[in-house]
Amino acid sequence: MAVAEDRRRIGTRLIALQMGAIVMFAALGICFWVLQIVQHSKYEEMAENNHQRTLALRAPRGVMFDRNGKVLVDNRNSFTVSIVREHTKNLDRTVELLSSVAGLDPKQVKQIVDRHRGEPSYRPIVVIEDASLAQVAAITARRLDFELPDVVVEEVPTRKYPTDALAAHLFGYVAEASDTQVGDGVLQGDIIGQQGIEKAYNKLLMGEDGARRVVVNSMGREMRMIEEIPPTEGRRVQLTVDYDLQKAAEDGFRHAGFNGAALIMDPRNGEVLTYTSLPSYDPNDFAAGIDRATWASLNTDKLRPLQNRVLQGRYSPGSTFKIVVATAALEEGLVTPDHHITCNGGATFFGRYYKCHLKGGHGSVDMRHAIEKSCNVYFYTLGNMLGVDKIYKWAQKLGLAGKTGIDLPNEQESIVPNTEWKLKRTGERWYPGETISVAIGQGQVSVTPASLAVMISTVANGGTRVTPHVIKAIDEGGGWKTVPPPAVADHVAFKPETLSALRDGLWMVVNANGTGGRGRVEGRDVSGKTGTAQVISNEGRARAKGSGKDLRDHGWFVFFAPRDNPEIAGVIFGEHNEHGFLGAPIARHVIETYFAKKEGRPLPVLEPKNAPPAKPEEDPDSPPVLDAIEVADSRSGDTVTVAQN
Amino acid sequence: MFEKRLYYHIDWAMLAAILALCLMGVVQIYSATASSGQTLHVTQLYGIVLGLLAMTVCLAIDYRSLADKSLFLYIGIVGLLVFVLFFGVVRGGSRRWIDLGPLNLQPSEFAKATVALVLAKFLGDSRRGAIMRGDLLIAGAITAVPFLIIARQPDLGTAVTLLPVLFAVAFVAGMPMRIFGILALVAVLAAPLAWKFALQDYQKERVSTFLDPEADAKGAGYQQLQARITTGSGGPWGKGFQNGTQGQLRFLPVAHNDFIFSVLAEEHGFAGVMVALGLYLFVILRALESARLAKDRLGAYLVVGVLASFTFQVIYNITMSAGLAPVKGLTLPLMSYGGSSMIATLAGFGLILNVRMRRFTN
Repeated sequence: MAVAEDRRRIGTRLIALQMGAIVMFAALGICFWVLQIVQHSKYEEMAENNHQRTLALRAPRGVMFDRNGKVLVDNRNSFTVSIVREHTKNLDRTVELLSSVAGLDPKQVKQIVDRHRGEPSYRPIVVIEDASLAQVAAITARRLDFELPDVVVEEVPTRKYPTDALAAHLFGYVAEASDTQVGDGVLQGDIIGQQGIEKAYNKLLMGEDGARRVVVNSMGREMRMIEEIPPTEGRRVQLTVDYDLQKAAEDGFRHAGFNGAALIMDPRNGEVLTYTSLPSYDPNDFAAGIDRATWASLNTDKLRPLQNRVLQGRYSPGSTFKIVVATAALEEGLVTPDHHITCNGGATFFGRYYKCHLKGGHGSVDMRHAIEKSCNVYFYTLGNMLGVDKIYKWAQKLGLAGKTGIDLPNEQESIVPNTEWKLKRTGERWYPGETISVAIGQGQVSVTPASLAVMISTVANGGTRVTPHVIKAIDEGGGWKTVPPPAVADHVAFKPETLSALRDGLWMVVNANGTGGRGRVEGRDVSGKTGTAQVISNEGRARAKGSGKDLRDHGWFVFFAPRDNPEIAGVIFGEHNEHGFLGAPIARHVIETYFAKKEGRPLPVLEPKNAPPAKPEEDPDSPPVLDAIEVADSRSGDTVTVAQN
Repeated sequence: MFEKRLYYHIDWAMLAAILALCLMGVVQIYSATASSGQTLHVTQLYGIVLGLLAMTVCLAIDYRSLADKSLFLYIGIVGLLVFVLFFGVVRGGSRRWIDLGPLNLQPSEFAKATVALVLAKFLGDSRRGAIMRGDLLIAGAITAVPFLIIARQPDLGTAVTLLPVLFAVAFVAGMPMRIFGILALVAVLAAPLAWKFALQDYQKERVSTFLDPEADAKGAGYQQLQARITTGSGGPWGKGFQNGTQGQLRFLPVAHNDFIFSVLAEEHGFAGVMVALGLYLFVILRALESARLAKDRLGAYLVVGVLASFTFQVIYNITMSAGLAPVKGLTLPLMSYGGSSMIATLAGFGLILNVRMRRFTN
């Protein structure tokens, strides 16, 4: 029957539909089973990444104190403005709007964003460091209006140097880690020390960043906090430096009117009391990311303010080197302090005539007077008796050759030539004639101010080559712990007569008829030696005339005080100041400050200079000789060297 | 008109399942929107009440007399669709709604049941046993008119839900299987052409996004990926009522509407999903049972027609909610927020109950 057949067909097809529905729903059930049971952990993680954000809380870097507890390097809070691209629909619009709100150049903002394009999109890209309050207010207002939901304003601790440019090269500066610095506990975007103590002790100072885990919605807006791990502040560090002495040295340079370097330390243990390199820079400029113009001007400045002259400047030591030669001759037993040599204004060695700076000659002088008067002929003769290798040996023992081992980065090696060194470097043997100029600190002798400070300290303390260092104590969390001074680098017990001769000679330089009279401090028995570092040979000077370069000589003053049981020793390097003795007043001011402070008297103040410049004075250190050929240029031993002290 | 004995033949079990799904919907709408101070769940409750009224009306009138007047209903609904095309309210880029003051009416939702009614009437009246090609062409034309108008709104999603109505009714009415085969073949062959000429760019994007959602996780693939994350992160037991993160924090948009099932999956897990799927399957099987029990072909066709668009939408929306189908603005009947959809769906179930209830009457 048709109707029955009809019914049966409908029934069959309906059952087919029912079966189809069951199959479809079973398939759906399986899909959900796979998603929710099998792959659950994967999607759970993705959901967490969606709505949980871990924000780094930057740790404040360790505070630095001077040896008396004065804060030298601190932290302040600054605002950074960042873009989080994660939920940004239109990055160009955000950049455009943020730039106009904050008054920035959109092109530069775009560049910053492009530079970080490869990073995960949830990581904030810092667009403004150290934003002004006006910028913060303007941006926050727009954020509340949902116009800039992808812009984050954070308060972060930032390095502060309350003393501005004081001791800038000692502290160094901080900046964001470069790609090559990432690793070994340093993460991308971390602020790390780039120079000075900030770099050398970065691990201690850096501290440990904290973290805050928060829940954000799809707009990136923070909804609530899950947990907060507070940051751990970097270790507090006490430096060996004395703020008042540091300031005295820098005031002294300002008062004297030239740039240069000074390293003054306690010769008994190597604690650095002042560390100065001028001209300087303001490390505050780097703390929140240095702007391009400042960076460019620091780099192109002809005076090179970024150069750390104490450790990186190498100059010929001039007459200060005579201390090394005197020590060598006495300790090697070649001469006694009473050994007399007659100076007639010059002497002939290996067929060449070498001049002394005093035309008429010093007459017959012993060691003490030779040091006092800085007699070239005396030291030519000693140098010739010693030979270059013995000079080198004693330069090394006194700490003038190689590195001082100070706990600061990028130290240059000081060079004192010797036969092996020359052979290795040039393939040529050493000519005895070259020794003559080395004996008065010329030729290829090239040393850093730091190594000269160590040399004078070794003489001052009687033969112990201490290692200069800048950290006195560290607070590891449980109070101050003194850092043991680094091991003594070398120790020679000088013969008593060596010591007394050196000390007498150097005392006479300052307190008798020597060149260091300006360093004299009543009752303190300051002892020292001046020297001139020739910038260019007289011949070269003529060639370079009109090039605009500053070719004036540098001046040295190495000193210690008091003569017996010295407590303070160091070097003043005056850049292009022409006369070593002009550095002596700086030393005097520091020494006066040192003793005033020690004895609880008011600290001395330098009177501003009003007097018209006095007429040029005679300087026995200045090169008196007309012709000078650099030893490096010579191919033979019979070379005339400028005699200067 | 409403005889007392008919009351005993109402399919109470199916009605209970339907109401249970509606309530799950209200709970999820509350979860997704109440925290932001909205009261959409209350509006939805009004929608359900109105829907139950519509259901009662559809139940009260014998489906046969309704079918007799189906042509007028059809002409009426086509008229409304044309009206919407010119005077409708534009929202989200398409013109779908008639503004009635407190509520907006979406005529396309009502087109589904109407088309089912007309097709059932037309094919049920056919004197021949199995339907012929001529009948099929006329049935196709009946479907095509509202289809094209709705597609013009443009609302391709809703328009497409009319196609299952046509195919399901034709299938049950005995359309030869080889015609299905031919149609399938034509569809496969036409797909590349459609890709090239017929689809809009945004539609192409949706399809290509579907094939590889993570390739464009920020743009068009975002919602699909988020839907998958939402579902998957729910796990076996879910994160708890109002404790979902994906929906609550708006990583997944329209959590109370198109993606309500994702949020259900997130907050109540696989267990909740199983309950909901079970209820839907129960309703569908129960309705097909009504079709089998129907007194006449008209009744059976009507049930199948109404059920076809419902089932299609349920399966598509749930697949999409799991992030396994391209994102299309298709709501989940009975659960998603939306008055017109709720009223039309419940009215449709009124018709299904009607057929079952009157299986013994003459």
